[in-house]
Amino acid sequence: MMYWQAAHRTVAPALIGLVMLLAGPAMAAPKQIVADLSDSRVDITSSYHGTELLLFGAYEGMPGDDIILVVQGPATDIIQRRKAKRAGIWVNVETKIWQEAPSFYHVFATDELSSIANEQALGNATVGPLSGGLSFTSGRDDSGNGHGGGTSASSGATIAGNPEQRNNLRRNMEANGLWQVLPSSIVTQQDMLFRASLSLPSNIPTGDYRVRVLHFRDGVALSERATDMNVRKAGLSALIFRFAHDYSALYGIFAIIFAVASGWLAAAAFRRK
Amino acid sequence: MYIYLPIAEVSMHIGIIIGLGGGVGFLSGLFGVGGGFLMTPLLIFFGIPPAVAVSTEANQIVASSVSGVLAHMRRGNVDFKMGAILMAGGMIGSTLGVALFSFLRDIGQIDLVIQLSYVVFLGIIGALMLTESLRTIIRSRTPGAARGKLHQHNWLHGLPLKMRFRRSKLYISALLPLAIGAFVGILAAIMGVGGGFIMVPAMIYLLGMPTSVVVGTSLFQIIFVTANVTLLQSIQTQTVDFLLAGLLLFGAVVGAQFGSRAGALLRGEQLRGLLALLVLAVCVKIGYDLVVRPEDLLSVELVR
Repeated sequence: MMYWQAAHRTVAPALIGLVMLLAGPAMAAPKQIVADLSDSRVDITSSYHGTELLLFGAYEGMPGDDIILVVQGPATDIIQRRKAKRAGIWVNVETKIWQEAPSFYHVFATDELSSIANEQALGNATVGPLSGGLSFTSGRDDSGNGHGGGTSASSGATIAGNPEQRNNLRRNMEANGLWQVLPSSIVTQQDMLFRASLSLPSNIPTGDYRVRVLHFRDGVALSERATDMNVRKAGLSALIFRFAHDYSALYGIFAIIFAVASGWLAAAAFRRK
Repeated sequence: MYIYLPIAEVSMHIGIIIGLGGGVGFLSGLFGVGGGFLMTPLLIFFGIPPAVAVSTEANQIVASSVSGVLAHMRRGNVDFKMGAILMAGGMIGSTLGVALFSFLRDIGQIDLVIQLSYVVFLGIIGALMLTESLRTIIRSRTPGAARGKLHQHNWLHGLPLKMRFRRSKLYISALLPLAIGAFVGILAAIMGVGGGFIMVPAMIYLLGMPTSVVVGTSLFQIIFVTANVTLLQSIQTQTVDFLLAGLLLFGAVVGAQFGSRAGALLRGEQLRGLLALLVLAVCVKIGYDLVVRPEDLLSVELVR
């Protein structure tokens, strides 16, 4: 990171110097990769409707190398519900609470993930939202045969999700845009420089993010670099959110006074006409 | 221009929000109803979380009821004594309703209960209004038809704690308006409505109040019930989106003025017939969503 920031200040000549430094004599040392984000803080203001960040960096590459970029949001519990038909209508009948799952997980890559490395290698490098091996606790479950006996015995116990259950979670999270794999979304230049445009959705969860860049060669992760990113509410939207949560009774009273005042004003304004 | 709603945590186009406010405001001015039964399902349809839609709509109804009740007060069309009893019941009911709401949200069944309440109550009220307005239209074409009794006596009038309501010209048990207020209060808290569409027929047919004071008195007590819901939801669930309520309000205030002008061009029974069709349309749409197989049987929600 320090190399890169120095290069950033003195622009082009230093950039070439950096690349030479990386590709040159240090061949024996572990392969280097450096990266930086155009902005390490995302402010969700009142006008926020998704944003684009630029991630760029340099690596000691060879033709055929690949880069994978992982943007991972804070861990959270995810409630997953299943519907079934009861008395003619669709009702939630089963609840799974996935423990400490990534609230946001976008993967960018130079190619299809499957042609960069096999699943095991990707798993070893913890690429993919499910690579951590997610588990869930079972909530109320009345999906049994009507007599109920025993179905609630599993309540409270933590169960490792099987591949099918995890893929169901992945499907749900991809549908709401929070988990995503975007192949061929990183551009490389001369096996030295890479950049990717990260488009963050409008429903992005707030919190501390980790952005990881991995350099793959022949299906093996050679090196990795991580940087932090913070997503937070800012400006008016932060003010309202904090007011609502920290002084909730006052907020409620304020909301009522505002409503009464504007209702009265509206009546007065239109009465004159 | 998009605007990020801090409590709903959803980004919405400002034109959609003000358009929703204006459109529903127009209809509420046209028909003389609060419009909560339209706004809350529409907000949910546009991606606002149901809990936020219900609480925020309560906040907005406070404003529209205040602006509506002022006109009725000037004409002396508010029975404050009756309103106070209904309000006392409404406070109890809405407090229970908010507690029930949190409980249902915790067990993951709030969406279902909201949808079922809409289907059942809009279905009943819509059907009653439609038959009533059709009957009026038919009767107006057959001039000789007999009118029904205005006021019938039944067991409800034998209840204790009788009170005199001068403005409504009634001498009835206070328990009856108290119970009606409580029942509508529960529904208001769960459905994100003022409850006028149930309160008004209940006042006319169960209490026997004169129609002239019904709307004003209903609006008067709705102010307090929805203010109570706003306060309790703010404290317990932090789901009142002040920014969303303000923007909806802006559209609604303007829309309602145009609506009430347009309403003057139509006859009462025609208006009621149209409103009945609108109510039934919302009922059918929500009912259809309950019956048709969802695209994905699984759904997720992040715990914040």
